[in-house]
Amino acid sequence: MAVTNVPSRRSFIQSLGAGLGAVGLMGILADQSRAASSAALPVHRFGPHIAPRAKHNIVLFLPGGPSHMDMFDPKPSLAKYAGQRPDVVNLRTERTTGGLYPSPFAFKKYGKAGIDVSELLPKIASIIDDICIVKSMYTFNPTHTPARSLFHSGNIAATRPSMGSWISYGLGTENQNLPGFVVLGPGGGGGPGARSGFLPARYQGTGFDDSQTRPEAMIRDLRNRQLDAPTQRRQLDLIQSLNRSHEKSFGEDEYLEGRIQAMETAYRMQFEATDAFDVQAEPAAVREQYGSSPFANGCLLARRLVERGVRTVHVYYGPGQPWDDHSKINRNLRQRCPDMDQASAALISDLKRRGLLNETAVVWGGEFGRTPVSESGDGRDHNPYGFTMFMAGGGFKGGFSYGQTDEFGFRAVEDRVSIHDLHATLLHVMGLDHEKLTYRYAGRDFRLTDVYGQVMHDLLT
Amino acid sequence: MMRWILLFVSALALTSATYASDSSEGLALFEQHIRPLLVERCYQCHSAKAEKVKGKLWLDSRQGVAKGGAGGPVLVPGQPEKSRLIEAIHWTDPELKMPPKEQLSAQQIQWFEAWVKLGAPDPREPVAGAPVVAEKRGMDLETGRKWWAFQPVMEISPPVVSDESWVQRKTDQFVLAKLEEVGLKPSPPADRRTLITRAYLDLTGLRPTYDEVEAFAKDDSPGAYEKLIDRLLASDHYGERWGRYWLDVVRYAEDNPTSEATNPPYGFAWRYRDWVIGALNQDVPYDRFVKLQLAADEMPGTSRQDLVALGFLGAGPVYHKDGRLSKDVIETLCNDDWDERIDTVTRGFLGMTVACARCHDHKFDPITTKDYYSLQGIFASIVQVPRPLAEVEPGVEARFMAAEQRLFYLSYVANLMRGEPGSKPKEARQKVERFAAEIEQIKQEMSFLKDKHPEMYAQLDQLGRPPQPYPDQPTTRPVLQVASSQAPSTQPGRRRGAATGAANAVAAGNGRRGGRGGSTAPFFQAVFDAGTYVDGSDPDLTMIDIHPGEARDMHVLPGGNVARPGDVSPRRFLAVLSKDDATFHDGSGRRELAEKIFTDGKPLAARVIVNRVWAWHFGKPLVATQSDFGAQGEKPTHPQLLDDLAARFIANGWSMKWLHKEIMLSAAYRQASHPRDDAMAADPTNRLIWRMSPRRLDVEAMRDCILQASGTLDEKMFGVSMDADQPGNNRRTVYARVARGRLNNLFQLFDFPEATMHSPGREVTTTPLQQLFAMNSAFMQNQAAALAKSVEKRPQGADRVRAMYHQVFSRDPSEEELKLAADYLSAGGTTEQYAQALLNTNEVLFWP
Repeated sequence: MAVTNVPSRRSFIQSLGAGLGAVGLMGILADQSRAASSAALPVHRFGPHIAPRAKHNIVLFLPGGPSHMDMFDPKPSLAKYAGQRPDVVNLRTERTTGGLYPSPFAFKKYGKAGIDVSELLPKIASIIDDICIVKSMYTFNPTHTPARSLFHSGNIAATRPSMGSWISYGLGTENQNLPGFVVLGPGGGGGPGARSGFLPARYQGTGFDDSQTRPEAMIRDLRNRQLDAPTQRRQLDLIQSLNRSHEKSFGEDEYLEGRIQAMETAYRMQFEATDAFDVQAEPAAVREQYGSSPFANGCLLARRLVERGVRTVHVYYGPGQPWDDHSKINRNLRQRCPDMDQASAALISDLKRRGLLNETAVVWGGEFGRTPVSESGDGRDHNPYGFTMFMAGGGFKGGFSYGQTDEFGFRAVEDRVSIHDLHATLLHVMGLDHEKLTYRYAGRDFRLTDVYGQVMHDLLT
Repeated sequence: MMRWILLFVSALALTSATYASDSSEGLALFEQHIRPLLVERCYQCHSAKAEKVKGKLWLDSRQGVAKGGAGGPVLVPGQPEKSRLIEAIHWTDPELKMPPKEQLSAQQIQWFEAWVKLGAPDPREPVAGAPVVAEKRGMDLETGRKWWAFQPVMEISPPVVSDESWVQRKTDQFVLAKLEEVGLKPSPPADRRTLITRAYLDLTGLRPTYDEVEAFAKDDSPGAYEKLIDRLLASDHYGERWGRYWLDVVRYAEDNPTSEATNPPYGFAWRYRDWVIGALNQDVPYDRFVKLQLAADEMPGTSRQDLVALGFLGAGPVYHKDGRLSKDVIETLCNDDWDERIDTVTRGFLGMTVACARCHDHKFDPITTKDYYSLQGIFASIVQVPRPLAEVEPGVEARFMAAEQRLFYLSYVANLMRGEPGSKPKEARQKVERFAAEIEQIKQEMSFLKDKHPEMYAQLDQLGRPPQPYPDQPTTRPVLQVASSQAPSTQPGRRRGAATGAANAVAAGNGRRGGRGGSTAPFFQAVFDAGTYVDGSDPDLTMIDIHPGEARDMHVLPGGNVARPGDVSPRRFLAVLSKDDATFHDGSGRRELAEKIFTDGKPLAARVIVNRVWAWHFGKPLVATQSDFGAQGEKPTHPQLLDDLAARFIANGWSMKWLHKEIMLSAAYRQASHPRDDAMAADPTNRLIWRMSPRRLDVEAMRDCILQASGTLDEKMFGVSMDADQPGNNRRTVYARVARGRLNNLFQLFDFPEATMHSPGREVTTTPLQQLFAMNSAFMQNQAAALAKSVEKRPQGADRVRAMYHQVFSRDPSEEELKLAADYLSAGGTTEQYAQALLNTNEVLFWP
């Protein structure tokens, strides 16, 4: 088989944890003395070592586009001009829309900075002093698939690596026995958020089904259904003796040695991953804090995984795109918010209690927001022009609100933050310079942020 | 270069004098407001990243701002009233309104004024690597034409070597000369058992049987090895093995990244895969092989069976185009589809990264945006539809294909509007009824097919799904009545079935037949020539508009922005490779493109494929960047070898089988693969080919060899796909389904490339998750059970172990291995556990 990269001592080291977490390239470069005899890696140019503020990244992703005007961005003018359609709201969206639609939810101010949060999110409101709200997000596409691709990979084309893959590529993982980039979602995470695109396959997100609570249901082939541990060990010993004598007769070889090691890692992973993925091992009190929905499992797993050195965890609120409230927004959000609110807040508090919040950058949001004008009478259409996301931990300011949308919440007008800015900022807190984290492919150096993006220092402590 | 430096220096001198201000208030203002506004509202035309810098003004560095533009300085620090930049943003001068499309807000203008008043502090340095004044970079045409990869290939008299006894083929002299240059010796020949195993894995992706190995080991006749190669090249398994390599190049798959209503799965894509396998087995010359895939239907004398080659274009990935999106968004999505074709064709067949020139001229290679949009016109002038396997009169087929496209699309928009009328239900209904009437009309017009080509009519009928009637419509032939009477019916309506409009849209989307399962209906994925346009005249519904028989010449889009078209760039071949200025006129121009690749682009096309074939044989290419032979690519390790082999490949009629044989008969190929201390120290990555490169088998050979070892391999060729890890699927992996939406777990685990784009070559990894599959998967356990069962009639002990060794490794076990087996089995290990251990050894997955 043709290989684009020459197998070398270094690629062998990388591949040990791969798929899966590669040892960070930075780590490898730092380890050059050991690897000096082998061939060059493909050209990578890594940034100056910015001091990282976060070691881990958790993305809580709400597919469909959660409604910012009903959660974080109150707009009294919606009630004042209810049903009317002033010129400024004549922005093209996916579908036809009607007049201004007031939020059915009451807002109050919380925390030391008096940040607005609606009645839908009492738990998040209670920890608002740990949260950095950005009300002036904007994106470039009003349709789910491209906008989601943009959110995850900085580009609407379905071929670019996701931010998690970029981070894996830049930093690797801290635990060789677990994947470095995990995507959790009901039915198994995957899609654009896990995509490695043109980056080597080992940087791809590994998907697990968080609607399951048993590790063996989440991780394919984790358990051997035929052999108990001692029997399996004996079988593996046989394999390894055969491998050793084969390698001895063949001569020292990176692949042969690498696979011997990978088999040992896999053997241990059967037990270690069992522990990491077993949310039932958590005390009842902790589990109660998170709740019992798939999203709650995902959040709790995210904490267990970063605790064990997994670099990046994405948790999808799914399946499908539940936050796509084209109609019946009042009823839908009242039904859907409680478990999301509870689990999101529980994760942040739990990380904080364990001293992990300051080294974990949490990002919360969807691919876009929703329109202030109604659709189908009681719903809202997609809104890429302005929406809200929040961050917590990992160097982001707490109890801080940034940016503004216009009078009606349609368009971000003040301190606008693009998806590329978000990516640049996230890489920055992880210690990576978004302009230097590049990969040579198809004749040019690609970046997560393409030619855009700037680090939003205002959001950082 | 000198000019650049001068500009840079003078700009610096100017700025350090003028912009000493470091007002922290001004800097804060700059960072908070000015910089984002510059980036967002000015950089598009006034930065190094701009496609075409307007007014010679660069606003992306302090130096650029200081220098000003064609009309002189734009900024007087401290004096906003004297600064042309401020004047421009006020829109007071009708000749100078900036930004031109939409004025900045009053607040934003105030920020600019305040910033200038504070001395216009600006911390920005020139973008790293970019000159202050961006002059055109890259290679001009004249220099480009001299680029090594574009030069004619010629047979080369090989260099003199000292050890002529080693040389088996001409190729070896080039290899040996390089080794002798650094004082390295080639490795000794591989032993005969290794050699036959290697040749089998290489050409068929399977292992030789024990008996075949033994017979070859004992046959010391001089022509034995050559006879073996001939035999393997004649085997049908050859096409299965090498066809799969090609399928990576052409990003073969059977669905789309999202597979939504307008981009459903390709039910007949598997026929293209089968065509590739068959064509390689027949040794169709490579030039013809590629031309057929671009333009089989436009090449005279082509058999109907060879039209299946069009699946390369017909099953190319497309994005979903939701009719509710704006014209600009849909056009961008179309551009993305065309971009993929440009990328796959130019990187795949020519090793050129032409897609880099979508937004700007190529930064390094002699490729301009004009080249890019010339090629885009070709792909904007073809439409993907299934075509019938049976021969039909050309006029009828043309009508059929146009009808297929139109019916499919009308069904989509009609069902979309029916299911989700939005806030203008009355208008939506009018459209739905108009579309439904057209669906019915087309079906009627095409109903003449019913007698002679019922399967074609059935295909149209399935594609043209009328929307759900409205409740107040009559239930019998509702659409016709509406169409004929134009009067709303008063009859009470009844719902036909429970399907909603949205569900209908999905069903219609899958109407290309097959969905995930693939279809055996007598059609194949293909294309026909028709100009593709986006019709944005209806603000609520953007339509794709097809003009059969027409071709489009596209506008250059600076910055890739569909809203700002530049000059028209007629369809033609890449300028740097062209020997004339000929533009394309035959339909879309894809036949002319195919011809040009093998006339004007001949040396490049030959080098690229010879390099790929070399890499698949040796595990290592001569040009490391297999799909980039441009300035950013690697140079060949053995340029003379590459040129000589390419020249002889052409002289031998582009015969792939000739090329395989020439390579495999070389002494270089026949070397042992063992590491050697001296050579590992001098050339650890084996660039100089001092041994065969050992490696892990790819997922196809791995899975096939395991099925073969357990005795369960089903050698049936061709047909619809099954998932690779579907229980009971014991067919060769090349027949497994390839999905763009979600890669099969086994494929993902073992480095199968994403089929959304051209893959220049796979990277092989070794991961713990792969080992979980080896240890614990049902697939491996089933194979172990089958292997154990196949030897259960033999007495326990050495005889049984020997039989398993024959099946798995095609060799006898050593004394040590027999002892290990005896120890394991006597301590309670079962035959099945032992069988799985054997299947999981490194030796099984190893290319020796």
